[in-house]
Amino acid sequence: MNNNVNWNERSALLHKIQAEDFALYEVALYLDAYPNNKKAMKYYQEHHKIAHMLKAEFEEKFGPLTIYSNHNDQKWEWVDGPWPWEKEGN
Amino acid sequence: MWTYDKKLQYPVKIKNPNANYAKIIISQLGGPDGELAASMRYLHQRYSMPYDKVRGILTDVGTEELAHLEMIGAILYQLTQGLSPEEIKKAGMDIYFVDHTTGLYPVAASGVPFDMKYVGVKGDVIADLNEDLAAEQKARVTYDNILRMVDDPDVRDPIKYLRQRELVHYQRFGDALRIAQDNLDSKNFYAFNPSYDK
Repeated sequence: MNNNVNWNERSALLHKIQAEDFALYEVALYLDAYPNNKKAMKYYQEHHKIAHMLKAEFEEKFGPLTIYSNHNDQKWEWVDGPWPWEKEGN
Repeated sequence: MWTYDKKLQYPVKIKNPNANYAKIIISQLGGPDGELAASMRYLHQRYSMPYDKVRGILTDVGTEELAHLEMIGAILYQLTQGLSPEEIKKAGMDIYFVDHTTGLYPVAASGVPFDMKYVGVKGDVIADLNEDLAAEQKARVTYDNILRMVDDPDVRDPIKYLRQRELVHYQRFGDALRIAQDNLDSKNFYAFNPSYDK
């Protein structure tokens, strides 16, 4: 684990992302059944924007959240811990 | 295909390891109504599902179950870190430990290894969606039973979250059954196999 990382900040930002992604997933399941619901569509778009911003900030500071977002061209950060099942990763 | 998100769907942060809790919660990894069975059930039922919206529901609920499988894995991993051989013996976890150490092997709490017999794929819209509605309720009951046995708030918090998701999935499968029946007529409203009897 990297000692230069601000773990409290990482954890707080990650929790915000988890909350936004949860909102998105929940409304996505609803939209599967009701794809023409305008209110749900609007909710999806609003939260999509916020989640996107938060993830960009997280990945800039703490490394990639998916294998497609290793933005550091000098280092393969994807493999750096903590992994999600570790206490420190939450 | 699937892409891995390097985060849990909901945080798991358990301060105190506890082999007794791990012994019962492992049923949601490899037990009859666990998350492995749930994900395999929905992701394999998709192919014989003729309606797009229901294909979407099965894909997305099935994918969320994989995230829940990972949360259960994280709970079990954190509950079994730093246990002494004495603690493992005292909790009766020695009979698991002898074969798997503290690795995560999908079994029911009774010790029966995961079995695809827990997964119903009938290839029939009405049969499969009713299977799914029942499966969500059975998983909800298992989480209720875990909550009856577990006191630690660090463990109860993610378990309560998972219990709540079973209720939401039950709602969505209710929608799925309605969508399916909207596509059937009065002759086959209760029983039909559109993927086969075209």
